[in-house]
Amino acid sequence: MAHSSHPGRIGTANVGSLGVDSRKLGVWTFIGSEALFFAALITTYLVFAPVNMARADAQNPKEYLDIWLTSVLAALLLASSLTMVLALAAVRRGDMKLFRVWLLATVGLGFSFLGGQVYEFTELYHHGATLSSSLFGTTFFVLTGFHGTHVLIGAIWLLSVFFKVQRYPDSPETVMDVELGGLYWHFVDLVWVVIFTVIYLI
Amino acid sequence: MAIAQGHVGHVSAPPATTVPAGLAGWLSTVDHKRIGIIYMLAAFVFFIIGGIEALLMRVQLGTPENTFLTPDFYNQLFTMHGTTMIFLAVMPMNVGLGNYVVPLMIGARDMAFPRLNAMSVWLFILGGLMLYFSFFAGGAPNVGWFAYAPLTQKPYSPTFGVDYWILGLLLTGVASIAGALNFIVTILNMRAPGLSLNRMPLFVWMQLIVGFILVFAFPALTVAQIELLFDRHFGTRFFVPSQGGDAVLWQHLFWFFGHPEVYILILPVMGIVSETLPTFSRKPIFGYAFVAFSGVAIGFLGFLVWAHHMFGVGLGPLANAFFAGASFLIAVPTGVKIFNWIATMYDGALSLTTSMLYSIGFIAMFIIGGLSGITLASPPVDLQQTDSYYVVAHLHYVLFGGSILGLFAGVFYWFPKVTGRMLDERLGKVQFWLMMISFNVTFFPMHIIGTDGMPRRIYTYESGMGWDLWNLVATVGAFLMAASVLLFLWNLMVSLRRGAPAGNDPWDAATLEWSVSSPPPPHNFDQIPVVHSRRPLWDHKYPEHAGDGHGASAPDPLVAGFEQPAIHLPSPTYHPLILGVGLTTLFFGILYSSIPPLSISLAVVGLALVAFAIVGWVRDSHKDSPYAAH
Amino acid sequence: MAGDLAHEAHESTRFYWMVGAVLAAVTIVEVAITFLPLPHELIVAVLMVLMVVKGAGVVMYFMHLKGDARILQAVFVVPFLLATVMILLFLLLFSQHVGIAG
Repeated sequence: MAHSSHPGRIGTANVGSLGVDSRKLGVWTFIGSEALFFAALITTYLVFAPVNMARADAQNPKEYLDIWLTSVLAALLLASSLTMVLALAAVRRGDMKLFRVWLLATVGLGFSFLGGQVYEFTELYHHGATLSSSLFGTTFFVLTGFHGTHVLIGAIWLLSVFFKVQRYPDSPETVMDVELGGLYWHFVDLVWVVIFTVIYLI
Repeated sequence: MAIAQGHVGHVSAPPATTVPAGLAGWLSTVDHKRIGIIYMLAAFVFFIIGGIEALLMRVQLGTPENTFLTPDFYNQLFTMHGTTMIFLAVMPMNVGLGNYVVPLMIGARDMAFPRLNAMSVWLFILGGLMLYFSFFAGGAPNVGWFAYAPLTQKPYSPTFGVDYWILGLLLTGVASIAGALNFIVTILNMRAPGLSLNRMPLFVWMQLIVGFILVFAFPALTVAQIELLFDRHFGTRFFVPSQGGDAVLWQHLFWFFGHPEVYILILPVMGIVSETLPTFSRKPIFGYAFVAFSGVAIGFLGFLVWAHHMFGVGLGPLANAFFAGASFLIAVPTGVKIFNWIATMYDGALSLTTSMLYSIGFIAMFIIGGLSGITLASPPVDLQQTDSYYVVAHLHYVLFGGSILGLFAGVFYWFPKVTGRMLDERLGKVQFWLMMISFNVTFFPMHIIGTDGMPRRIYTYESGMGWDLWNLVATVGAFLMAASVLLFLWNLMVSLRRGAPAGNDPWDAATLEWSVSSPPPPHNFDQIPVVHSRRPLWDHKYPEHAGDGHGASAPDPLVAGFEQPAIHLPSPTYHPLILGVGLTTLFFGILYSSIPPLSISLAVVGLALVAFAIVGWVRDSHKDSPYAAH
Repeated sequence: MAGDLAHEAHESTRFYWMVGAVLAAVTIVEVAITFLPLPHELIVAVLMVLMVVKGAGVVMYFMHLKGDARILQAVFVVPFLLATVMILLFLLLFSQHVGIAG
């Protein structure tokens, strides 16, 4: 039929009247929506930052946040973005072995990031910063916690892509599956680029 | 590729799909038409419930110093009435109509993501049921539909009502965002060959704009609700003023969503009348591009006016001036639309069907609501009127006189397509006039008592304030409105059984949904049409007037001019429903976080269901991939 | 044909490593600059610029938005601008207003 001329793992049956893949358009629009989700959380953080400092129970983020730990976390996510794009390049040229290596590396880096975040939260807790200790605690934990949740969802998404490719190795949708999981993963990294600068560095 | 020119193919026999019979077929459906019907039926049930809540309130307010209801139950009623009508009646009714009609209008066989579509409808219903479960779990939310802080905090709202409000609406929010993504992708990417954006029916245009507004506005509400949830459950202090939190931040986040929400409610209805008015005037819409782009302008400006709901806060002259100015500006694209509709009717061969009457009624009532809206956009006037019955009058003129009258126009217009039978016109007209009169009897007096100083959301009032008469009048009007709705219900039931057969095209309309049988076959189109103008079906029926009216004639759209893609329909599946049930169970677990054993077991069961559904969903998506059809 | 594809893929792999290296370098500069004895405003300004550079790198090259379909660019860039407007407007609205604590 119409699509049989497309070999291997690259299909076009989802390409519609705009000449783009429907699922890809959906994921990009979803990412746009997520951008506003994080914008609202970041807004809350920024609005409360001066209020926190003006209060008697202020907790100064500079005294609580460990810039070195955070730099390592940022490096982990950045590296995972690189391995993700390498996994996509591998699956595009049909190199399934390297694809598996890079995809699992991405998931591994993602879980390392989450481990680092758990460590960071535990440390902060021992130093007296909690959800209710101050406006800094309130806004910081909810913002970074929701980012962490998104990292977890992204990792699950990538794992489901991995298992789908294992289960259906000849699916014409494989490349798009990987690309879409990757898009979401890069977006989570992108949010961290903003959080890293706005919350940890400034 | 699918739309290559040349070989003209015929795809006659639709593939055998195994749709289970009866209830199982509905619970596992992925057909946009069935999903649309489920949306509309559920929305209508919620509309009736919201209406009963309104009647109870009107009884309480009908006479001064009445004790028909307790104050607390009254508070629960106005909260649930507003929340229900907005999130569970008008929004899903718009989505349901869109679900049914949009793919047919654009020559598609289904929505872009049929399983996601099914998930949306179940999450909307489950979210609504969760919200209503609060009545049996210690009391419904009683904080108003915009749930201002700090009233929503635990010390002032100790029952689970607010938690049900948050989590129920979060579920419907997920449904709305998923549904909007589906509309955006469907409309942008699933159009029949030749159906450029410039030729799209205006109803489809408005659904597209609403899709974008929804996707961009809802996250602000989601974040605000999550922060409130954390305040109530996990000790944060976002909206706790005594600990440095900020009640005004809640208002900003809520209305950053809340004002675009107003356009989510009205724009699809503007799309409906942009279809009905040309059809029943036997004229093309006047100024197609202006109607389309004024919708875009409204959608864009809608994001910059949210604080006009907050003039009472005292934001300062600069902020007030900015938001007042932007609000006045919205009157321009809205006025453009109204003049276009009137010009469409001007010199047309009007046929005053019930649908047309409702469309004209919509314009008239929406103008009144729009004018009172302009007065409220002015800070000094607003400071007098805010939180008074004047605001209640205004919002009902735009949401009932606007959205709901327009939705009636749409239901009378498309009912024949959905069921294959006509609604009774005589009953319909009686019902229309009863509705028009009783609507104005109910809500017009509220302008007067509002200006006289009657605050909204009071449970009773003393005699001798000068409000007695008009309150009684409004109560009588409300019961007449209920009678009109009952008449409509009667019409529905009678016409479903004995209504005149509709045929494909009862209104002699111009858009593609009327080119197929009523109700349409599961695959919608035997052959995907090829569109050459804004009125493809008129091109087919009246070749002598074909085209866009610029002299050039257009080929018949129903004669296939390209190689037809194979008919591919996804199989029914329960996984979207299971995912919805799992997510709802998880949310109940969050709600009862104060009771750890219950909370954890609910969360574990919920997550297990979600995981099971996702695995099954991935399998479905592989099995039903469009590639698998070959 | 297949050879071309493989060659292209090899090129792109090298390119991704380069982008990754640049982003890593920017991150190092970002952290380093916070330790320099410069005026706070200047540091903030430089950090914002570097943040935009980093974000643009991720979006344009890792997410391949550069050169991708216009509609995909639009559905990302429009909400992204809206998000920026939201943050700036809220900061403006709350600039005179530090709640109960102020």
